[in-house]
Amino acid sequence: MAIAGFKSKTEVVATPFQFFPKVWELDNYAQILGDPVFVRAMTITFVGAVIFTILSLLVNSTAAYAFARLEFRFKRALWAFCIVPLFIPAFAILVTSFVVVSNLGMLDSLAVLIIPGVASAYQMFFIRQFYLGIPVALEEAAMIDGASRWTIFRRIFLPLSRAPFVVVGVASFLAYWNAYVWPILTIQNPDLFQIQQYIGTFRQERGSEWGLLMAGSFLSALPLIVIVLIFQRYIVNGVRISGLK
Amino acid sequence: MIAPMAILLSIFVIYPLAYALYLSMFEISFYRDPVFVGPQFYGYVLDSPRFWNAISIGLRLAVMVVPVMLVIAFLIASLIRTLGRRLAGFLKTTIYLPTVVSGVVASVVFTLMYRLDGGLVNGALGVVGIGPFAYLSSPDLALPAIAVPAIWLGIGVSSLIMLAGMLDIPESYFEAAELEGAGFLAQTRYVTIPLLRNILLFLFVTGFILAMQQVDLPLVMTGGGPVDSTMTPNLFIFTQFKDPTPYATSFSLTAALILFFVLGSVSALIFRLVRSEKAVDA
Repeated sequence: MAIAGFKSKTEVVATPFQFFPKVWELDNYAQILGDPVFVRAMTITFVGAVIFTILSLLVNSTAAYAFARLEFRFKRALWAFCIVPLFIPAFAILVTSFVVVSNLGMLDSLAVLIIPGVASAYQMFFIRQFYLGIPVALEEAAMIDGASRWTIFRRIFLPLSRAPFVVVGVASFLAYWNAYVWPILTIQNPDLFQIQQYIGTFRQERGSEWGLLMAGSFLSALPLIVIVLIFQRYIVNGVRISGLK
Repeated sequence: MIAPMAILLSIFVIYPLAYALYLSMFEISFYRDPVFVGPQFYGYVLDSPRFWNAISIGLRLAVMVVPVMLVIAFLIASLIRTLGRRLAGFLKTTIYLPTVVSGVVASVVFTLMYRLDGGLVNGALGVVGIGPFAYLSSPDLALPAIAVPAIWLGIGVSSLIMLAGMLDIPESYFEAAELEGAGFLAQTRYVTIPLLRNILLFLFVTGFILAMQQVDLPLVMTGGGPVDSTMTPNLFIFTQFKDPTPYATSFSLTAALILFFVLGSVSALIFRLVRSEKAVDA
């Protein structure tokens, strides 16, 4: 069943017009790749997704480290504050988030796509769980050598973080790449169109050009498929560490 | 070290939430200043048949999606458990792949497959002499037609989580069951399901919450139609928000908050449950 679902998907995409001449196939790909708007949407979404992923790893892992290791005032209160967003669905605050970003003058910029989602309770929680499992003895040795908290974080925790970072980073990348509602709300400028937005708009405006649409859809999913194939080992094991256990 | 995260969360999550609570007490209109009306809009929303329709659509979608998804995911996970390492690794990646496909792309692909003429589904059904149906333009068929890609998108992660749970069950349990002459069904019933109970419960509830919040698929495939038959709660909130009529924004905001109270408390509950479970396990 899994293979069938997967196959039918690639088959549909690979041969968009089952009942039409196959000669059209390459044409569609050439045409969509020749469309500067499509190429720009792919590029800009990719750039945005990379920045988004790096920023969110940075912000969430530092907070995760602090919650896992440091003692400070109001720790419990801050913890509650950072974990509550886990239970706030994006749609509950859709309207006011929109008001906030438009008051901040962020509409129609890459920032509006990137910054609001960077801090993520879920990611922080996930990374913290991992950090809690790192033996304290490792840092104690470094502390005796006079290493600061930052040095410890940089030299000990970051190098050990590869597995959780891949899992969380891929999730961030996917979330950014596949976002649809937020971009169509906040981005009007066609130069900044995100890839899902491009496909959604294409579907509305030129919906009858199925061949092109399929070629574009397939190409838009390709980077994600490549990423998953590269990191498959981490992801499949990541599911194991994540959330449940 | 927490400052960046706390500040970002304050600006983009906590403040909007507080602001939404505050605004929901006001009548907002572009033409004049907000007027304080207290909990009046909560009454409007709860009285609105379209709101309840959206909730019921969300529930129906969840009922169609979650059980089927869990059963298929369970079967896949059971199959992979019994396979050799290499094949299992390959299959794990294969079932994970649909997960990365966006709601928009899935919508587009499935819309093509559902087409009245030349669509794959009608083509296949035509061979056995059924149909053709115009799935997405029939009020009765549109919601099930959206449930299918929702299931397809959700299977990957569910089965990987189930598989992880199954691999934690000691192999000796299965061997013992086999020696007693238990077949696949008996093993599933007496070994796998009881030991996976927590994971299944977790997947059921999270799946339910996710399905209730489905928005990309109906937005792209049907736009909520025909006659609101695929107007899921979030899509309802979204269309109300974009609706230029006066007070639609207040309405959307308040509807979103009500939904949030319900879903938020459910997920907080699950979180509790899962955490306490972990404490026991460890």
